[in-house]
Amino acid sequence: MSRPEKFIIDGKRLDGRTPDQLRPIKIEVDYLKRADGSCYLEMGKNRVVAAVYGPREVHPRHLQDPTKAIIRYRYNMAPFSVEERKRPGPDRRSIEISKVSKEAFEAVIMKELFPRSAIDIFVEVLQADAGSRTACINAASVALVDAGIPMKGILTSVAVAKVDGVLVLDPMKEEDNYGEADIPFAFLIRGGKIESIALLQMDGKMTKEEIKEAINLAKKGAMEIYQMQREAIMKKFIEEGENE
Amino acid sequence: MRKIVLPGDLISTNPKVAGYGTYIEGDKVYAKILGLFDEAENSAKVIPLKGKYIPSIGDTVIGIVREVTANGWNLDINSPYQAFLPLTENPETKPGKKPNDILDLGDAVIAKVINIDPRMRVTVTMKDKICRAIRFGRIVAINPARIPRVIGKKGSMIKLLKSELDVQIVAGQNGLIWLNGDRRKISIAEEAIYLIEEEAHTEGLTDRVAEFLRRRKECLAQKNS
Amino acid sequence: MSNDILSEIKKDYVLSKLRDGERIDGRKFDEFRKLEIRTGLIGKAEGSAYVKLGNTQVVVGIKMQPGEPFPDVPDKGVIIVNAELVPLASPIFEPGPPDENSIELARVVDRGIRESEAVDLSKLCIEPGKKVWIIFVDIHALDDDGNLLDASAIASICALMNTKVPASRFGLGEDFDLPVNDIPVSVTSLIIGDKFLVDPTRDEMSVGERTLTVTVDKSDNIVAIQKSGDYLLSEPLFTEVLEVSIRASKKIREEILRQCSKAC
Repeated sequence: MSRPEKFIIDGKRLDGRTPDQLRPIKIEVDYLKRADGSCYLEMGKNRVVAAVYGPREVHPRHLQDPTKAIIRYRYNMAPFSVEERKRPGPDRRSIEISKVSKEAFEAVIMKELFPRSAIDIFVEVLQADAGSRTACINAASVALVDAGIPMKGILTSVAVAKVDGVLVLDPMKEEDNYGEADIPFAFLIRGGKIESIALLQMDGKMTKEEIKEAINLAKKGAMEIYQMQREAIMKKFIEEGENE
Repeated sequence: MRKIVLPGDLISTNPKVAGYGTYIEGDKVYAKILGLFDEAENSAKVIPLKGKYIPSIGDTVIGIVREVTANGWNLDINSPYQAFLPLTENPETKPGKKPNDILDLGDAVIAKVINIDPRMRVTVTMKDKICRAIRFGRIVAINPARIPRVIGKKGSMIKLLKSELDVQIVAGQNGLIWLNGDRRKISIAEEAIYLIEEEAHTEGLTDRVAEFLRRRKECLAQKNS
Repeated sequence: MSNDILSEIKKDYVLSKLRDGERIDGRKFDEFRKLEIRTGLIGKAEGSAYVKLGNTQVVVGIKMQPGEPFPDVPDKGVIIVNAELVPLASPIFEPGPPDENSIELARVVDRGIRESEAVDLSKLCIEPGKKVWIIFVDIHALDDDGNLLDASAIASICALMNTKVPASRFGLGEDFDLPVNDIPVSVTSLIIGDKFLVDPTRDEMSVGERTLTVTVDKSDNIVAIQKSGDYLLSEPLFTEVLEVSIRASKKIREEILRQCSKAC
């Protein structure tokens, strides 16, 4: 891939989207049999699967917290998920993504209800595109709901990038690689509204005004994703009620 | 049909009505789990659709002995938490009898939850007429969230199964159900339980279960004649 | 540990059904579960396949790159099979480097592909002794509801059949289809006393992890065998398993051809 000359031509991005448009999203709930909750999610060319196990006993025991559940999050890329085969196992990037994602969920899961236990969130990236961490958080969030885990609300994640001085929602690979800045967000959604920020990172260069604008753009995208997460869960459980 | 709610859905602005599956923040009541919204005049609760069994005092549970200690037995109760059955809470305890002569590793029991401490250490008893060591019959496992439907309103569903099939049934809140009686009738009861589990949230379930039992009993009668 | 109690309960159920000559899901003893195959779902891989066998799900991706040949076969391509039993797929899988089970799985799949000569490695030589194509077959388990091995073997051969050699990306001419000449099929049976069940589910495995895997090529040759588990196998039972495995492999191969020719 080389740097495109222009990112936006006649108001359209390289893949034909407008700056405030998401890539296509597909969500399937309860995708795996063995996990307590699970979700398959596509976001652009990202293909990710999330599974939740727990609350369950913690091994080894010294990791137990007598007052609350410990949350573990593992972001893992399949070797064939990227152009150049990735060596199996965690690298520094995966470990950082896992850490900030875990902390986002720690802030919304009611972990004090389950002392001494663990809630494990595993996300496998089968095909990586730009914004795989946001796709993974969206999938994990649905899997947690599906597992019946008590939470303050639902986490929804999306990134905003700056290319050719323009803010774009849910960046694709070229915008991510060669853009001037990239900010992934995750929001807590409660009572049908965005309440607070659970994950926030940034690299690149932006003005204060641009960052404020980016938040608004991300919020708009997050609400759209939230509706899709919600519909996917509703569809699963209403179908279950109807066909029987 | 009742409405499905998700964590964070606003379900009331009156904290006094907050019931199971909800939490209060400020003056608002939100759902904290995925479930069915159950609203009455002075209560708003969420009936869970999924989730692990978390013990609560008064629950009947079925457990398997995982460890025998000098003071009692540790039981696996299909939960993130094990339960402890003290020697003193088993009526079969007698001076001179060793704990593993009474209950050994792998033995199954029906017990009742009598205490839970803040660290979720769970104590159970067998001093109740429903409690026993399980030495025969079968145990079946279902989603613990569906146990209330297997029991039915005021025990109506379980009564239907018992009377139609002439089998003993004890449903543990932890998703495990003990069945005892004629082997073929136990199999019918088991299938009926899976049916209830699958269709837990549909209307007219009792009628369909009654119909299912009638058909299966006919089949059984034909085989026998 | 909370899974132990459930598997103990299932064990009783499996054995009680077996006494009546039945399996808990109503299948015949020599019958596979429903097989669903989708190929080409990972655009970033040179080839890929998703397999759902009953509720067991696995994805295999193929990546290729030029590399050095083995010194003893300087004019042949190299095939490397790797399996990751990621903790997403089962409550008993742990994160970390491959354990003995994932290594065994990868090696049995590898033997089936290698010994059936399914991939024509002689067509994958770029410069004898210096440069050949390396094929990475990466098995990624998603949901282990029993018999991950056969599901992985099916997904691996389907992914290979779906593979385009990325020659142009490395400046080595035009892309071409990976030459695949055979479809080895592994058939795993769960051994219970003097009986055996083909394609066991996780619930059936609760009676004891004792399996026999027989891999058969398209000419009914046996190309790999693996006895796994702490049991003793009688000769009559072994020959019976062989017969049944050959028959079962034919059906699976037909199913692979039916579903893959449609997609590939």
